[in-house]
Amino acid sequence: MKNKHVNAIVVGSGAGGGVVAKELSEAGLSVVLFERGGWAHYAAHGDDELTAQRSFPLYAFFGPDNERYRRVAVDRDGNQRIVYPNDWAYHNNAACVGSGTVNYGAMAWRFMEEDFTMKSTYGHIPGSTLEDWPITYADLEPYYEKVEWEIGVAGDDYQNPFAPWRRKPHPMPPFPHNREAQILEEAAKRIGYHPFPIPMLRNSVEYNGRPACVHVRNCVGFACPVDAKNGTQNTVIPMAIATGICELRIHSQVVEITMDASGRATGVTYFDKEDRKQTQTADIVVLAASATETPRLMLNSTNRLHPDGIGNRYDWVGRNLQGHAYCGADGLFEEEIYDDFGPGASVAICDFVHNNPGITGGAMLANEFIKLPYAYSSGYRPPGSARWGREHKEFQKANYRRNASIRGPVQEIPNFESRVEVAPDVLDHWGMPVAKISGFKLDEDIKTAEFIADKAEKWLQAAGAYKTWKNIPGTGVSGSQHQSGTCRMGNDPQTSVTDKYGRVHDVDNLFIADGSLHVTNGGFNPVLTIMALGYWVSDYIVNEWERGNRFR
Amino acid sequence: MRLKTGSLSNGITRRCFLKVSAIWAGGAWIVGVPALSANPYRVLTDQEAEIMDALADCIIPPGDFYGGKDALVTRFIDRQIGPYGHLQKEKEMYQTCLSALNRGSKAEFGRNFVDLFEEQKIVYLTDIEGGKYNHQSNERGWGRFSPSAFFNTVRNHCMMGFYGSPDHGGNKDYVSYRMLGLF
Repeated sequence: MKNKHVNAIVVGSGAGGGVVAKELSEAGLSVVLFERGGWAHYAAHGDDELTAQRSFPLYAFFGPDNERYRRVAVDRDGNQRIVYPNDWAYHNNAACVGSGTVNYGAMAWRFMEEDFTMKSTYGHIPGSTLEDWPITYADLEPYYEKVEWEIGVAGDDYQNPFAPWRRKPHPMPPFPHNREAQILEEAAKRIGYHPFPIPMLRNSVEYNGRPACVHVRNCVGFACPVDAKNGTQNTVIPMAIATGICELRIHSQVVEITMDASGRATGVTYFDKEDRKQTQTADIVVLAASATETPRLMLNSTNRLHPDGIGNRYDWVGRNLQGHAYCGADGLFEEEIYDDFGPGASVAICDFVHNNPGITGGAMLANEFIKLPYAYSSGYRPPGSARWGREHKEFQKANYRRNASIRGPVQEIPNFESRVEVAPDVLDHWGMPVAKISGFKLDEDIKTAEFIADKAEKWLQAAGAYKTWKNIPGTGVSGSQHQSGTCRMGNDPQTSVTDKYGRVHDVDNLFIADGSLHVTNGGFNPVLTIMALGYWVSDYIVNEWERGNRFR
Repeated sequence: MRLKTGSLSNGITRRCFLKVSAIWAGGAWIVGVPALSANPYRVLTDQEAEIMDALADCIIPPGDFYGGKDALVTRFIDRQIGPYGHLQKEKEMYQTCLSALNRGSKAEFGRNFVDLFEEQKIVYLTDIEGGKYNHQSNERGWGRFSPSAFFNTVRNHCMMGFYGSPDHGGNKDYVSYRMLGLF
């Protein structure tokens, strides 16, 4: 049966897509929201560390599955290998309704004003494609506020002297610290840092009809047992469905954007749950499939007007892939500092996000989420430690409750060679070329990471750690759950993929609303910004629609 | 053949016998399935399981808390490389490398791996981990597998079996969670 034509298609129900589906349907546009996965509930997964989204050595419960999905990873020497979703080199984002917002750590950072003007602030960095965003913090501020209130954030930015300006406080009070974070907070103050509670997309009090957090250990990587974590799957997507004109179409893998002879998007081709090829037409198509899958979809959609993929006239689709150059330090303590009050991460500083002498950008620093038993068996120990045997087991016993880690997502300086392509000779279950990921970090990123890791180590030392060591990232390409930058927005069609409203330069009715748009990725977890961009892009579409623009 | 407590005289454990009696296949009850051993595993042979137990006890030694063997790390691995497991692609590696490990033990120390002194096992495994035997993997029966890569994989799987959820077959009695004070 032929699908009924709708006003808008949204591809991907994660942080960006969920917001767009809600905004468009509430404005009266009929919407089909496509999701390749299904619903992922706590009851079906539970507390299984080996399949959770943070370390999934068996398989990725939240998807995608290893049977139908694969990618090609290219290392720095140009060697290619096929990788599966539970391999780190796949750069997995969850494939379920809400995507990573179901199982994230839920840090709710606004980028700072400088994060939108990196090139003006720091100048040209050789080898980079560093650029300012075409929009400013002031443009996005009202949309950050909307995310915080509609989806729900607990925090108190007034305790953070480096926080960007805001009109309205967070809607929920901040979370209390566990024992480790209390120790770190006091130490930070002693050495002149400015600690404050991390803003979280998680209920500190009952909010929107769902309960307050119960502080379990299995938070990041897991669905919440009491539904106190706020993602798109339990906020904006149900709101979209409640309009009656938004259909969430799950287990549907979109494979191509269809176009007419004039170069206008007409809809998408997809495979349904039974692997039947289907088409869906619409007036508007919005891509929110992640910074890997959005460019893949565009590159896999070729026609006479777009022989190298939609929006790819100047070879910018898939370029500038970035995540974060995660760094930090770990420390061991004489006393037990672990009190099993989850999820763990709660104290942060923004002293070193910008204005570091001789450094481009920087990172916020925060204490790490609780390390689960398997994760702790292979990481988080001093260099040269026993990897197995008696000494290893003794280390586990002695230190599991006596360690702390500080981590920071160092803002990467984008480069043109870090990219998503398609691999024409490697096909997925549906016969479509898979994403091929290659690239590297600039020396500048490693330099910043070393600077930031040193600040983290000093913090742990001040807190009383008797042994500390730094964590410096490798030089491989970043991406993973913070993937961004591959369809950057800009004013010049020759050096960007979309305009400042997320509209693909040469296709008037094709939009992007995910991390692909980020010109730079801040020294913070990016989800709040992706959600804010969802509102920003939607606002433009809705305003145009209300003016009578039918994008035809 | 490993001795099992509670074996019946014909070598079939009571538990195993009951399990077999309950097999329903192709629309008929299977009765009198012959040649059943006490082996509770799906993939590993008795000998492979014995080597794996010894290996698991080197990687996570017993003490005031179970070691790898008592925590049923071998059962975890066997399940995961078996028909419904999630590590099936490692099945061939285990089937090749556990016996190669034993063959190497005989060549180096003149004894089966399981019969080595603990110190010898550790020396041997440390050498494997360090790549000492990688260049002669062919003549020692490692096939296409590198001994050091095998060790790294087994080490990781032992950690998964010991520290992961008991639902997957290991971490018996939640031993690792208790050891870390989480239970």
